[in-house]
Amino acid sequence: MKPAESTVSPPSAESGEVGLVEPHDFHHRAPFTFDSGQTLPGFTLRYETYGQLNATRDNTVLICHALSGDHHCAGLHPGDRKPGWWNNIIGPGKAVDTRRFFVVCANVLGGCVGSTGPSSTNPETGRPYGVAFPFVTIRDMVRSQKLLLDHLGVVSLYATIGGSMGGMMVLQWGIEFPQFTRRMLAMATTARESAQAIAFNEVGRQAIMQDPAWNHGDYPRDGGPRVGLAIARMMAHITYLSDASMDRKFGRRKKETADRTAYTFDMQFEVESYLRHQGESFINRFDANSYLYITRALDHFDLAAAHGSLEQAFAAVEAETLVVGFTSDWLFPCEQNRAVTLALLRAGKRASYAELSMDLGHDSFLLESPQLYDLVRGFLERDQPYVFDFAI
Amino acid sequence: MTKLIEKRTVDMRIIGEWVEPGTRVLDLGCGRGVLLDYLVQTKQVAATGVDLDFAKISACVRRGVSAYQGDMVTFMRTFAEKHFDRVICSRTVHELNDPAEVILEALRVGRSVTVGFVNHAFWKNRVDALLRGRKARNAVYTTDWFESRPTNPVSIADFEHFCATKGITITRRAHLGGDWKSPCHTRPNFFAGYALYDLAK
Repeated sequence: MKPAESTVSPPSAESGEVGLVEPHDFHHRAPFTFDSGQTLPGFTLRYETYGQLNATRDNTVLICHALSGDHHCAGLHPGDRKPGWWNNIIGPGKAVDTRRFFVVCANVLGGCVGSTGPSSTNPETGRPYGVAFPFVTIRDMVRSQKLLLDHLGVVSLYATIGGSMGGMMVLQWGIEFPQFTRRMLAMATTARESAQAIAFNEVGRQAIMQDPAWNHGDYPRDGGPRVGLAIARMMAHITYLSDASMDRKFGRRKKETADRTAYTFDMQFEVESYLRHQGESFINRFDANSYLYITRALDHFDLAAAHGSLEQAFAAVEAETLVVGFTSDWLFPCEQNRAVTLALLRAGKRASYAELSMDLGHDSFLLESPQLYDLVRGFLERDQPYVFDFAI
Repeated sequence: MTKLIEKRTVDMRIIGEWVEPGTRVLDLGCGRGVLLDYLVQTKQVAATGVDLDFAKISACVRRGVSAYQGDMVTFMRTFAEKHFDRVICSRTVHELNDPAEVILEALRVGRSVTVGFVNHAFWKNRVDALLRGRKARNAVYTTDWFESRPTNPVSIADFEHFCATKGITITRRAHLGGDWKSPCHTRPNFFAGYALYDLAK
């Protein structure tokens, strides 16, 4: 990865880096009513922006993050070695070109990376909300981010882009704010989770809630169900990969240090070590209650049930849509991405569906792929109109 | 800035004449979306294309034409009767595994169906086969046999026979000569290089 100094040198014509970035906090100081009917006296959303809002205030691209993502999707924080989670697609000259677009990304309501969530202090008790925090839906996340965009002076969204849970939010944007949302780009997503996806979420939640340290959601900020959360993450991480990619990355290789022949339950295979590392690093950055709340929001998301049918859900949509499925994604498989596109088309909307053959599973949308970059750039920037030669 | 220029072919022009303005059009095997783009620009249609190839879909998206990557019959099955005003199958029919299934499904979801194809019984193709003993080559059949996908060559006589057997009404036909430009009025199965049909059921 390029060093942070790239902000100092002018970005090349082809592509460059966002460079050093810093998060901001938006404080909404009025009551907010959740879909559940519960309310908060106000909330905070932590967000980042890259590029400049234009004079007509209509060049905003909103990035929506996935379950474990956050507002830091591009550029570097001072002292960090790793850039934001979607740095490969966002930047000057990149597929989401920050020389042209004002890119905004916020940590979702209910999250734990600066936005108000169950780990925030409940002003009534002076302690973290825990499970007293209101239930959050995808629609709540979208409505709260609309308040942020209003605050930033954005008059309409040029596009909203997201994968997985971010893709659900994208669809919700088009439904909730049809005149505001001009383009939707949803990847590796679904209009409603399958029983299998809900089942995986439930195993993760049970791992957390069965950990005695969860204590009905009441735990200190530096404590909590670390074992349960790590197990939840280890299992979930498997669902983001594919059989083929795990086989290529780890195969049956064993750790150098492992006694290759010993009959033991100690860590022997590289894949075990990798998953443990995933679990370990997750507990240091994520709150267990947030994990419960956000996975529940995913499970509850059901556009067909909420509107009578998927076609009715999309009836108000005015945006043009691009849905991208990935052949090896078995969490939100191609079939579910196709269903979204087909329902939009049946509702008479402008919608495209493209499918990429990448064997990296659900997380494919995050990985480097020139084909994906071209597709995203093409959707956002469009060729100038073709001129037909009538002289034949 | 360089201008992006597409050639308008005569079959495109004829399809354009058949399409009613502002209607809902589906193109089966839409390729890079050239025909749909032309119809959007000249007839302001609501265009959707279907193609199997990612690069083709990506090209459609780049030019602002809605396109769906997937199998055309599976795609059409998810739509209600007569959802589209017109379904077009241009320069594609020879590549279909089951042309009858595709055309009948297109007639279910479309009020009218336009099919354009190379007439394999064109006299030059017959001479080629008879004298040279070689596979036909032209703007649709572009490759040598060893680089070709399996194709299902069709003639004007074959196609009209198919429509008669399946009870499909031919509402319009256009036959083009060997240059695929000038109209051909006499013995089209022998003298026409290219054929366009407008169907209804």
